[in-house]
Amino acid sequence: MSETVQMQGLAQVEKGRSLWQDAFARLKKNKLALTGLVVLIVMVVLALLTPWIAPYSYEEQDLSLGATPPSWEHWMGTDIFGRDQLTRVLYGSRISLMVGFIATSVALCIGVAWGTIAGYVGGRLDAAMMRFVDVLYALPFTIFIILLTVVFGRSMLLLFLAIGAVEWLTMARIVRGQVMAIKHQEFIEAAVAMGMSRGRIMLRHVAPNILGPIIIYTTLTIPSVILLESFLSFLGLGIQPPASSWGSLISNGVETMEEYPWLLIFPAVTLSLTLFALNFLGDGLRDALDPRASLD
Amino acid sequence: MLRIILQRLLTAIPVLLLVVTVTFVLIRLAPGGPFDEERAVPAQVLENLNKRYHLDDPIHVQFGNYLFHLLQGDFGPSFKYPSRTVTEVIAAGLPVTLELSVYALLVAVLIGITAGIVASLKPNSLQDYVPMSLAMIGICLPSFVLGPLLILGIGIGLEWLPVSGWGVSPGDKILPALTLGAGYAAYLARLSRGGMLETLSQDYIRTARAKGLSEWRVVWHHALRGAMAPVVSFAGPAVAGLLSGSFVVETIYQIPGLGRFYLQAAFNRDYTMILGMTILFAFFIIVCNLLADILAIWLNPKLRRNLEKSR
Repeated sequence: MSETVQMQGLAQVEKGRSLWQDAFARLKKNKLALTGLVVLIVMVVLALLTPWIAPYSYEEQDLSLGATPPSWEHWMGTDIFGRDQLTRVLYGSRISLMVGFIATSVALCIGVAWGTIAGYVGGRLDAAMMRFVDVLYALPFTIFIILLTVVFGRSMLLLFLAIGAVEWLTMARIVRGQVMAIKHQEFIEAAVAMGMSRGRIMLRHVAPNILGPIIIYTTLTIPSVILLESFLSFLGLGIQPPASSWGSLISNGVETMEEYPWLLIFPAVTLSLTLFALNFLGDGLRDALDPRASLD
Repeated sequence: MLRIILQRLLTAIPVLLLVVTVTFVLIRLAPGGPFDEERAVPAQVLENLNKRYHLDDPIHVQFGNYLFHLLQGDFGPSFKYPSRTVTEVIAAGLPVTLELSVYALLVAVLIGITAGIVASLKPNSLQDYVPMSLAMIGICLPSFVLGPLLILGIGIGLEWLPVSGWGVSPGDKILPALTLGAGYAAYLARLSRGGMLETLSQDYIRTARAKGLSEWRVVWHHALRGAMAPVVSFAGPAVAGLLSGSFVVETIYQIPGLGRFYLQAAFNRDYTMILGMTILFAFFIIVCNLLADILAIWLNPKLRRNLEKSR
């Protein structure tokens, strides 16, 4: 056993970060995951460039035009105020993706810190910290978020914090599990024996080794965050007009879907496409970085 | 076994108490009183209202009173509609939401687990890819997208099924149940496939096959029980999801259930209503987690032995 560990260590010195090269090679073979990655990059670039590439301005109304089906002038049609739907979907992407990335970062920071400390320190502190996570797990969080929006008003900041505060729990559990598994391996013992400080061990030895699962789970958290925001916006509790996200666009589309189905179809397709892309990418990353865990 | 169940039950009580306390405090933190209207209410009226609802008592007394009434199943009056009590509204909406959730759960379990088992029997074949692709679609089509699409396609386009109401016209429960259940069917399909694949590679399955048992018997009697562990542990969170999913489905299909009342209360800032329903939802979710926990221990003798040994 110790021999194979040594061999792997030697191979890594020779070839640099071979684990990552390996994983990338595996990812490149996964067509679905690559497609997901491409779709995602296109989405993010479009969202970033929206103010410059959107065909019309966000507020521009043309009441005499009203709702028109897709045409050469308006690729996704117009809504009842004569606003260009493509422009609205593009601006909606900015908000939906931003919520996705920021709230996921919040979850990531809390979850990783919590999980690492609990897993590494262990003992009573670990038991107490994980018990806290268990208790929070049992709470109806979607309902609490609705409650928070009622109590503190509906603001974007609250949305970020509330969603982030929900999603960190699973991250903490995963990270803790990983840290526990790594803690007892020989190279950590060696570092301890050499008198390395706890903080340095965590940073230099533990952190790089739990990066894989963290990346995988982050990729899978983003779609669930986007979904949660869309869910709240659909119910009218998330993003407030005049701003709009995919969820609120879908909600508007549903109101008039019998007369103007394109107002529902385009934001719905955009949302689903993004969710597909992220999920496929996440699955692909899991297969690439952790082949053992790909059973389910 | 009994001891474990009792212990889990005991730990659920402080959690529930925590929920009640946090919710109560949050509601009291909310800016503006429950009687703030666009029109200013005369000071005298406000004082009378406060007295009537005991809002002029110190907060710990209010909390104590609330807890006391809660234990008797009394959630207090609605602040917005003084003629109705929260308990009445819950009694009207709960059966509808429960019925919807049970149908959705049936859809999820029947379709999801069947699809997962079918897929696991021939991994990496067409029999695996087709249900798993459908499951991926199910996961990426949230209920608030799937619901309107079903209404547009099956309801309005083909005119096969009614698209609103609950128990009013025949068949009007089918689309809501499908909409709510589809996402969970997708998750269950993936989980049960994973569970089955892992179980089917175990030694005792090989033994069963070596004994010459029929494939159906191997799957049904031997593998299924072991494969259901991840499915069962998903059941607790799933019920929580079903409840919040019912908000969307009840809104889309205009079903008079708890979810719609809850949203109305949220928009109206009907504080006692929100408080009562949040506590009720929390109670349900905690109970379901508890049941899932106990079921998981019962299904997995190894887990049970570990738990009994550890004390």
